Amino acid sequence: MNLESVIFTGIVLFIIGAAGFFLRGNAVVLLLCIEIMLNAVNLVLAGFARYLYGTEGQVFVLMIMTVAAAEAAVGLAIVVALRRLLGTTDMNRIHFLKG
Amino acid sequence: MPTQTIWILPALPALAVLVNGLFGASWRPGRIASIAVGSVGLALVAALGFLAELFSRPAGDRRIAVNLYRWLSDGPLTIDIGLLLDPLSMVLVLVILFVGFLIHLYSVDYMGGDPGYRRYFVCLNLFVFFMLLLVLADSLVLTFVGWEGVGLCSYLLIGFWYERTPACDAGRKAFVVNRIGDFGFLLGILLAAGAFGTVNYEEIARLLETDPALSTGIVAAVALLLFLGAVGKSAQFPLHVWLPDAMEGPTPVSALIHAATMVNAGVYLLCRISPLLEKAPAVLPVIASVGLATVLYASLSALGQRDIKRVLAYSTVSQIGYMIVAVGCGLYSAGLFHLVTHGIFKGLLFLAAGAVIHALDGEQDLGRMGGLLKELPVVSVTFLAGILALAGVFPLSGFFSKDAILWGSFEHYGKAFWLAAAAGALVTAFYSGKLFSAFVGRKAFQGPLHRPGPVLTVPLMVLASSALLAGLPGLPLFTEDTFFARFLGRPAGVPGAGNHTLETILMAGQLLLVLVLLIAAIRRFTVSRNYSPSATLAGGFGIDRFYERLIVRPLRALAGFSFSVVDRRFIDGAVNGIGTLSMVLGKYFSGLQTGILRRYAASLAAGAFALLALSVYLSGGY
Repeated sequence: MNLESVIFTGIVLFIIGAAGFFLRGNAVVLLLCIEIMLNAVNLVLAGFARYLYGTEGQVFVLMIMTVAAAEAAVGLAIVVALRRLLGTTDMNRIHFLKG
Repeated sequence: MPTQTIWILPALPALAVLVNGLFGASWRPGRIASIAVGSVGLALVAALGFLAELFSRPAGDRRIAVNLYRWLSDGPLTIDIGLLLDPLSMVLVLVILFVGFLIHLYSVDYMGGDPGYRRYFVCLNLFVFFMLLLVLADSLVLTFVGWEGVGLCSYLLIGFWYERTPACDAGRKAFVVNRIGDFGFLLGILLAAGAFGTVNYEEIARLLETDPALSTGIVAAVALLLFLGAVGKSAQFPLHVWLPDAMEGPTPVSALIHAATMVNAGVYLLCRISPLLEKAPAVLPVIASVGLATVLYASLSALGQRDIKRVLAYSTVSQIGYMIVAVGCGLYSAGLFHLVTHGIFKGLLFLAAGAVIHALDGEQDLGRMGGLLKELPVVSVTFLAGILALAGVFPLSGFFSKDAILWGSFEHYGKAFWLAAAAGALVTAFYSGKLFSAFVGRKAFQGPLHRPGPVLTVPLMVLASSALLAGLPGLPLFTEDTFFARFLGRPAGVPGAGNHTLETILMAGQLLLVLVLLIAAIRRFTVSRNYSPSATLAGGFGIDRFYERLIVRPLRALAGFSFSVVDRRFIDGAVNGIGTLSMVLGKYFSGLQTGILRRYAASLAAGAFALLALSVYLSGGY
C-alpha cells in the first residue's frame, strides 16, 4: 500500500464529509460528516506515520479520536436538547444566534 | 536616666497618637485629653532629666548620641536613623515641650466641645513627635523627615475647621508655599550628600575642619539651598505669605506651630549647619539681609492689620527675621536665645489673644475690643507681660535677646544696618501698643463675656512668669559670653572688643524710644480706634496680590486649559472615541453573525483555503 493511495482515499473521504456538511441539514447527519472529515485526517496522519516510521502521527490520531469522542458526546446532547426545545433538528431552520 | 533612652522623647507623643488615633473613637474627651497632655508632660519631665544629665557633664562633652537603625546605605553614603541631643537640640526640645505642654493643657478647655476634639489632639501630638524628630535628628535626611512631618501637621491643623473655605485655602497655601522652600532643602541635601559623601551633621562638621580641599563654592551652595528651606519654613520674605493666612487654624495651633516651634525650625537648621556657614562666610550677608528685609516688611505690615491674630502673625514673621539677622551676623547663640524668649512670649500672646477671642465669642477685630482690662484682669495682665517682652522693655526677656541681636548687627554690618534693625524694633513697639489698646479705653464690644476658666488662665500665668524670667540666661549684659552661650558651647564669635559706652547709650536711647512709642500707640489707638491707617500696610504691601497675578492666575489658567482642552478634548476624547469606534465597528460587523451554520462552515473553509494558498505562495510553490 503506497502513500499516494492513502492520501487519495483521505482526500476523497474529506470531500465527502465536507460536501455532506454543506448539503445536508439534519444535525445528526452534520455530526456524522464532521466524524468523516476527522477520520479522513486521521487516515492521512496514520499513513504518513507509517511512511516516515515515526510515532508523532499516531499520537495525533489518538488525540483526535479522543477529542472527536468528546465532541460527539457534547454534540449529540445539544441535538437532543434542540429537538426537545424547538421540535426540529434541521440546522437550516435554526439561526436564532445571530448578532 | 540612662542616656541611651533619648528616643523616649519623640516616642511618647507618638505613642499618644497611636493610642488616641486607634482606640479613642468612643472615649470621652477627658480620657483623650489626659493621654495627649500626659504624654507631652512625661516627655517634658524626661527632657528635664536629660538636661540635668547634660549639665552634670563637662562643657566639652555635652552630647548624647544614639544610633537606632541603619536606614539605607548606597555606596559610600550611609544614612542612619540616629538621634543627637546636644545643647542646641536640648534648647529646642525644652521650648517645644515646655510651651507645647502648656498649649496642650490650654487646648483641653479651648477646644472643649469641638466635634473634632480627638482629631485635634492626635494632630497636635503628631506635630510634637515630628518636631522633636526634626530637632533631635543627627542627619539632614532625618531632619527633613521631621521637617515634612511638621509641614503636614501644620496643613492638617490650619485646615482643622475644614468646612470653612478660607481655612482650607489657607492650609493649601501654607503647604504649597512651603514646597518651594522644601525643594531647596531637598536639593541642599542631595548636593551635600554628593559633595561631602555624608549627611550626618557631626561628620560634615568634621569633614569641613579636616579637609582643606573642599571648595567654598559648593559649601556656599549647600548653605544657600538649605537657607531657602529655612526661608520657606520660617516664613521669611518673600515666602512669608502663608503665615498670616495660617491664622485660620485654632488659636492654640497658631501659638504652638506658627509662633513657638515650627516656624523656628529654619533658625534651628541654620544654627545646626553653622559649620557650613562659617566655612562660607560669603553667605552670611545674604542671610542677614533677607532677615532684615523681613523684619522691616513684616513689622510695617503688622501695623496695618485689624485682626488681632494677623497682627501677631506678622509680628512672628518679623521676630523670626531678627533671629535670621542674628544668624546672618554669626551670632548663633543670640539668635537661639531670641528663639527661646520669642517662643515663650509669642506663645503667651497667642494664648491670651485666644482667651480674648474665646471670651468675645469669636471676635478677632481689634476695633471691637477695648476696655477688657476690667473684665478679664488675668488675661490682660499676662497679655501685657507678653507685649512688654515683645516690645523689648527691660527687664522682660525680649529686651535681653533683641538687644544682643541689634548690637551684633551694629558690630558686624555697621550703622545703616543697625538703624534699619532698630527702626524695626521701634515699629514693633508701636504695634505692640496697638495690640494692648484693645484692653484699655472704652468698651467696644457687646454682649456677655465667657470668662476663661483656670485651665485657660494657668498656662497664661506660667508663660507670663517665664516671659519675665527667661531673660536671665542672657546675663551678663554687654557681652556675647552669656550663660546661654556658654551652655551652647559657643562663646563669643568675636570677643567683646566692646565699645560698652556706645552700646549702653544706644540701648538706653532705644529703650526710651520704645517706651515712648508704646505709650503713644496705646493712646493713639485708644482714642481713635482706627486700626487700618493704610490699605498698603493692611494688604502687606500687595505681595499677596502680586503673587496672585504673577503665579496663581497663570497657574489657574494653565490648570483650566489642561482641564477644558487637554483633559476634556484630548484625553476624554480619545477614551470616548475608542468606545464609539468599537460600537460602530461592532454594529457593522455583527451583520456577519447570521446564525446560519452553513455560512460559518463556508467561511471557515474559505479561510482555511486562503491560508493554505497563501502559505503555498509564500513558500515559493506553484
